[in-house]
Amino acid sequence: MARKDWGLLLLLLVVGGVTAILNPRFLSAVNLLDMANLIGLFGIFSIGVGMVIITGGIDLSVGSIFALLGVVFIDLLVNRGVPWPLAILAVVAGGVVLGGLQGLLVTKAKLQPFVVTLCGLLIYRGAARYYTTDATMGFGYSDDFDWLGWLASGRSWGIPHPFILLIIVAVVMGVLLHRSVFGRYLFAIGRNEEAARFSGIRTDAVVIGAYVISGGLAGVATICLVFYTNSVSPSSFGNFYELYAIAAAVLGGCSLRGGEGSVIGIVLGTALLQVLQNLVNILGIPSSLNFAVMGTVILLGVLADQPIVRRAIPSFRTLRPGRGTAKPVPGSVAPDRS
Amino acid sequence: MHRLIQATLVGAVSLALFGAPAVAQQKKSLALVTNVSADFWTVARAGVMKAQGEHPDFAMQVIVTGQATAAEQRRELDDLLASGVAGISISAIDPKNSTEEFNKVASHAALFTTDSDAPNSNRLVYIGTDNKAAGLQAAGEIRKALPNGGKLMAFVGTMDADNARERVEGIREGLKGSNVTIVDIRTDGGDFAKAKANVQDALAKGGLDLLVGLYNYNTPQIYSAVKDAGMSGKIKVVGFDEDAQTLRGVADGTIQSTIVQQPFQFGYQSMTDLVKYINGDKSFIPANHLIIIPTRVIQKDNVHEFQQSMRRMLAAK
Amino acid sequence: MAADTLLSLAGISKSYAGVRALVDVSLGVEAGTVLGLIGENGAGKSTLMKILGGVVQPDAGSIVIDGVPHGAMTVASAARAGIAFVHQELTVLDNLDVAANIFLGREAVAGGPLRLVRNRAMHDLARPLLQRLGADFGPETSVSKLLIAQRQLVEIARALSVDARVIIMDEPTSSLTLQETERLLQVIADLRASGVAVIYISHRLHEVKACADRVVCLRDGRVAGGLKRDEIEHNAMIRLMIGRDLRSLYTPPLASPGGEICVVDRVVTSAFPDRHLSFTLRRGEILGMAGLVGSGRTSLARALFGVDPILSGEVRLAGQAVTMRSPRQAIEQGIYLVPEDRKGEGLVLDMKLSENISLASMQRHARLNLIDRASETATAREQQASLRIKTPGVAVHAATLSGGNQQKVVLAKWLSMAPRLIIFDEPTRGIDVGAKGEIYTLMRALADDGVGVIMISSDMEEVIGVSDRVAVMHEGRISGVLDRPDFSELNVLRLAIGQPAEHLETVS
Repeated sequence: MARKDWGLLLLLLVVGGVTAILNPRFLSAVNLLDMANLIGLFGIFSIGVGMVIITGGIDLSVGSIFALLGVVFIDLLVNRGVPWPLAILAVVAGGVVLGGLQGLLVTKAKLQPFVVTLCGLLIYRGAARYYTTDATMGFGYSDDFDWLGWLASGRSWGIPHPFILLIIVAVVMGVLLHRSVFGRYLFAIGRNEEAARFSGIRTDAVVIGAYVISGGLAGVATICLVFYTNSVSPSSFGNFYELYAIAAAVLGGCSLRGGEGSVIGIVLGTALLQVLQNLVNILGIPSSLNFAVMGTVILLGVLADQPIVRRAIPSFRTLRPGRGTAKPVPGSVAPDRS
Repeated sequence: MHRLIQATLVGAVSLALFGAPAVAQQKKSLALVTNVSADFWTVARAGVMKAQGEHPDFAMQVIVTGQATAAEQRRELDDLLASGVAGISISAIDPKNSTEEFNKVASHAALFTTDSDAPNSNRLVYIGTDNKAAGLQAAGEIRKALPNGGKLMAFVGTMDADNARERVEGIREGLKGSNVTIVDIRTDGGDFAKAKANVQDALAKGGLDLLVGLYNYNTPQIYSAVKDAGMSGKIKVVGFDEDAQTLRGVADGTIQSTIVQQPFQFGYQSMTDLVKYINGDKSFIPANHLIIIPTRVIQKDNVHEFQQSMRRMLAAK
Repeated sequence: MAADTLLSLAGISKSYAGVRALVDVSLGVEAGTVLGLIGENGAGKSTLMKILGGVVQPDAGSIVIDGVPHGAMTVASAARAGIAFVHQELTVLDNLDVAANIFLGREAVAGGPLRLVRNRAMHDLARPLLQRLGADFGPETSVSKLLIAQRQLVEIARALSVDARVIIMDEPTSSLTLQETERLLQVIADLRASGVAVIYISHRLHEVKACADRVVCLRDGRVAGGLKRDEIEHNAMIRLMIGRDLRSLYTPPLASPGGEICVVDRVVTSAFPDRHLSFTLRRGEILGMAGLVGSGRTSLARALFGVDPILSGEVRLAGQAVTMRSPRQAIEQGIYLVPEDRKGEGLVLDMKLSENISLASMQRHARLNLIDRASETATAREQQASLRIKTPGVAVHAATLSGGNQQKVVLAKWLSMAPRLIIFDEPTRGIDVGAKGEIYTLMRALADDGVGVIMISSDMEEVIGVSDRVAVMHEGRISGVLDRPDFSELNVLRLAIGQPAEHLETVS
């Protein structure tokens, strides 16, 4: 874990500790498991958005992807009688395709990621609302999906399934990001796309890959979210969730300029956001202050990271000539051969 | 000359783009503007469709305010006026600050309110629930569920809308003199997942005897959270509206009772009364400009029959 | 100090955290003279200039301007005293036009509360400045459309615009072509004639020789010595800089050049769609590529490396035709580029040394697509040792290294693979003399190992000193190829401006 991640963990523990002192029920098994469930739900897609952010892009579309894929998913299961494995496959594939399309627009058409995914946000939301003529889709009066619901949002040994799924996703994505060639390329592109291209990396393919991962994980998250709420209102389902994901990624050490971030950081960032929402309820802070509390803590978290950086840069710059003078570059002797 | 060509072009394009409404223009058009997207309005839509069947000489539509914001509603109203609508029945999201806009609409078209009233505006009539009465009814159910008193928490999308406020007001009034106290009201801004998380957090925090779901999606989220926590029967639930999950909860005993409105009647009566008004019949408007459609209590003994009728209505869409 | 000394420094010392950057440095410059300031990177030149500019404060010593002593300068007082800078790193803003850049912060404004910018007035003010510099662009040109060399002229025009009495030029010609350099030297001569004092800092000793009235050399933060006008000689300056003689740059190949490694046959690049160019590269030789900026050298490098398309013609490597549609394809064939823009295209500055070195050969350090960090680090250590990269370790970020060592990292990336042809585009720009020598040694070793080496350079000393043959480009084609006996600045220049060289037959 990097220094940033430890800092975030510390912040998480401090916030959790203070809440627990004010109301010990914060640490009750019920509450912790409820939070674990939500961390799972939000963490899965936040990791995907984090991947895109590491390439220097942004994905604003995930919230609308939930609405579109959510209504399609329920429609496939309830109204069209599609077998559930196919329905799940269709939803994940849908996410992959939408992500891939956005990736193509970003790389091949050279559009800005913000613009592409902002249009995605609008288009998917509109498509979802049109698809259901704005009606809320639910499992209605059918009982057939209780066990599928258990699979997607139930608990085993007390652990919520979305949390288990998040652990699996985090481990896989962690290895992919921090240990694999693809991950190395993601960081290289995020920091200097030209240099990456000049090193023979297929930068377009790698960037598209990041958007595909984001879309695919959004598809996976859709299934869990649908079974969490049991119904999907196309106009409000997943509203703002892209911002939760971006906030989690930024808290977790991702730079919006790209090239920085870690999976563990994103998971911790998600956890902090959920703890904040939980403490508002547990401490009986008025619901209306929810966003204000969240915004304040994110701001403090990001600020806390800042002075170190700010202090480090000028001293580094001014020190360099000094160092060079005291210790002349040893390479400055004449070449031996002549 | 140049201008003429331009005008012709614009005309041609708009005809091509809006061909259907242009034809409908010959018929008078009526609209039901909702405050949010929900099954509730699907049922209302069934009522509108029934009215449409009875009055084929009118073009009726339902406009769903997906974002549930007053700003969006204002835009919808402006668009409707621009298209020359003859009558509108609207569920006001922010009645206090919409008076001016509503009066503007009322000066151009017949304006009713339904479901959520805007009493200060020049709307002709309000067709809908008396939310305060519904709250009183709910208070009665709460007293029945908690004969020895207790603590309750209520859940709602936002407290901006008057229907939410009035329901709470009714509940508070109805609970006067009892030992029941309202601990808190938690809002979720329309986010279902947040609504459920609020209930879970409340259960984790503990100390509650009864949960109230004020909006139609709050009750199913309460149901789902209570069931997940294995607390069915240990904590009482009183809800509003008739979501399928809510009815399921009533059927299996997790939810004591739910107060249902009759959105089918909102939709149907809004449209038929608009037709009457536009055709010159104003006799149906009472002196207080309120047409109250009473709420019903659905509990274990009548839930089955109610489920059947709902299923029929929703299937018809 | 003499009475007519415009600016003098006396006993300037400066330490950073106990490290002495400058020790008792004294120097002066008279009105109407040019002082050449030389010294290797890290010798203290930059610190001295920062003190003059008021950016850092000296620990001891005084600055006297027009006889008025200043204990310490601030940025504002330096500007008031008429000291202007032309920086090594370009500081122009490419979203503004030329005039806006020249007058940045001193815009001509109309009266009134809005203080509207008077663009036309600024254009009128800027035009004569640009003419004085012989710029081929107008004040209304957007800087984004200018080449690096032209942007440098904007910087110089900015210094001229403040009527500076002392102009400090820090490596002003590092991005300029031969022609533009000549023009700049002329501008400096004009400035001198009009009574301006110039402090000219450069690694390019022949330029210093051409323009300086006096030379002061810094070494390890002290004044290593000075040279009078008639003492300014190449070898004398090098002796001062490194403390001993630098032997000739040229190292002959081990064996006489063998067969053809690479043949470029009637290749058309997108930069010059109506020109084609042909040349051959022989085994064991370093082929220098000279020419003015914009003559098509970098376009050729980009085309050979697959960045830009080759519109027609053929490239043969060891007799076989090769196609490069992307850098990836070029790399697969063993064609590597050490790009001109080291920080932008050569390195990922915020990544570790080892990660930079392995970036192009990731698959060799991976099993099942998972990175084998041990193998990666081992390769990086190997390269660090063999290229003598001066670094505390291979885990530090590339950004922390000096220019010469950064260039070695770019090289290490390619040398850890199997090069067949390496194109060096301005390989020693901004690199100090010692590290330059090492880069040349490496290039020679590569050529001796049978790797094709093409060296694009605008540094005349380098072109003439390092190459076995020099191909000169002019407007998108090869205007001539010189063999060593015909090497001379004059011949290179003549070919570069499209005239035939002397004592040789031109190649069509």
